[in-house]
Amino acid sequence: MENSSFFNRNKAYIYTFAGLGLVGFIFLEFLMVVDWNYFIKYKLHILFGGSLDGILVPATSSYEAMSNAAFGPNYEAFAPEIIRASNERQLYIWWVFVAEIALFCGMYLFQGRRAPVVKNPNDQVEVFNLFQRGVIWLNVAIMITLIITGFNITWGLRSGGGELAFLLRGMHEMTGLIWIPVWMLMSIVAFKDSKMLFRNSLTRKIVIPGTYKPMKRIIYYFFVIMGAGLIVSGFIIWFLHPDAYTNAQFIQFKRMMLYVHFGSSVLLMFFIMDFVYSALVAVKGNYKGLISGKYPREHLEQIAPDVLKELDEKKGKVA
Amino acid sequence: MSNVEYARMKFYCDETLCIDCNGCVVACKEAHEVPVGVNRRKVVTINEGIVGKEVSVSMACMHCTDAPCQQVCPVDCFYIRTDGIVLHDKDKCIGCGYCLFACPFGAPQFPKDGAFGTKGKMDKCTMCAGGPEETNSKEEFEKYGQNRMAEGKVPMCASMCSTKALLVGDSHEVALIKTYRSVKKGQGISTDSYGW
Repeated sequence: MENSSFFNRNKAYIYTFAGLGLVGFIFLEFLMVVDWNYFIKYKLHILFGGSLDGILVPATSSYEAMSNAAFGPNYEAFAPEIIRASNERQLYIWWVFVAEIALFCGMYLFQGRRAPVVKNPNDQVEVFNLFQRGVIWLNVAIMITLIITGFNITWGLRSGGGELAFLLRGMHEMTGLIWIPVWMLMSIVAFKDSKMLFRNSLTRKIVIPGTYKPMKRIIYYFFVIMGAGLIVSGFIIWFLHPDAYTNAQFIQFKRMMLYVHFGSSVLLMFFIMDFVYSALVAVKGNYKGLISGKYPREHLEQIAPDVLKELDEKKGKVA
Repeated sequence: MSNVEYARMKFYCDETLCIDCNGCVVACKEAHEVPVGVNRRKVVTINEGIVGKEVSVSMACMHCTDAPCQQVCPVDCFYIRTDGIVLHDKDKCIGCGYCLFACPFGAPQFPKDGAFGTKGKMDKCTMCAGGPEETNSKEEFEKYGQNRMAEGKVPMCASMCSTKALLVGDSHEVALIKTYRSVKKGQGISTDSYGW
């Protein structure tokens, strides 16, 4: 009975949101100098007012009007944080990954690796079709490229700039553009919860089989939402390019988008690493299947019975 | 111990004199062969068309003493001369745009000359003082434009200002000119004693 309690059924969600809430609170409250009051009001102002210039209250003096027209409003709301972040956080960014990898190493040491017993490796079941594998590996390749090139500023900090970091930056923008359709396809292909809404032959062909366990579901939705945040903010940062004459109208919006981009990338990176660990490191044999698309039946019986059940249902093998 | 007091070069635009002719913008673009889409200088006007309330100001890099662009640049491409002019090294610049996020004046400009409009190296006002390349060399001109400072000349924008609204020079001297204009009514150019 204990296992079916609300807490046990939802502990992945509870731990995730409690953890994110705690870390987020500490980070936002104590480690950043952004004017959060302005940050929130500005977003609401965009949504309900439709204006991007960041002027929440009309100027009350000609000085303020001139200042807003020439420079844009509320410089101190975002810009000082950007200045701090570019110098201080770049030096600590490596330690975030070290800490995260250390966490997974600890989990590996204590929990070990699940290794299914496969006595009949020839009895294979196709789990991922060619289209799904194509999308998955394209997404993997693009995400690796985006992660590496996304560190162009960190590389630049270490190398003192130059053509390599410049090339990486340009490549990041181009790769991000290519990721837009791939992210969309990946979001559709991995939308296992769609089966709760509709089940037809097309979704069966497109959506990968199985149902989400709570943690994987969280990872999926973070991928979709944070991916959307990255794409929208990245696209805006790139294409909303204020020139000398339009700077005051758009620079505040562009500054805010930088936060959305960095916030989304941090969260997405965490859950992607979590996914890589849980799917490829914590379970033996998953990696090969992602290439061939096929898994031994016994592997699925022990590791992913829901996938096997759905595939068998599809073939009408289950009575 | 040195007590040498260096000049601190600054621009000042007297908004009561600026007539939004954009002569400074054109002069700058022409002198430095600034590419299309990049403006090192701009003129901002508010209350346009409202008689008595319309004011314009010519703006470029303000060559801040504590320049945010220099603080934020991850590759340290900015350097500040002893006379206060903020310059940058395009060979180091990676075009990340952080200086644009940090600058209160929108001075850093990026040519969209990469593939699919990706940003190029940052470009901004040099106060006609060139860059780190050899003074008055072809390389310096191609990357940064003219080095009029090295020739003892006033920056192109200020030299072309028809109403003498745009002043440039050591901040003390600029302040003296503004003070003179404010107190010597009826003698030469006279303006109000206050700014915005």
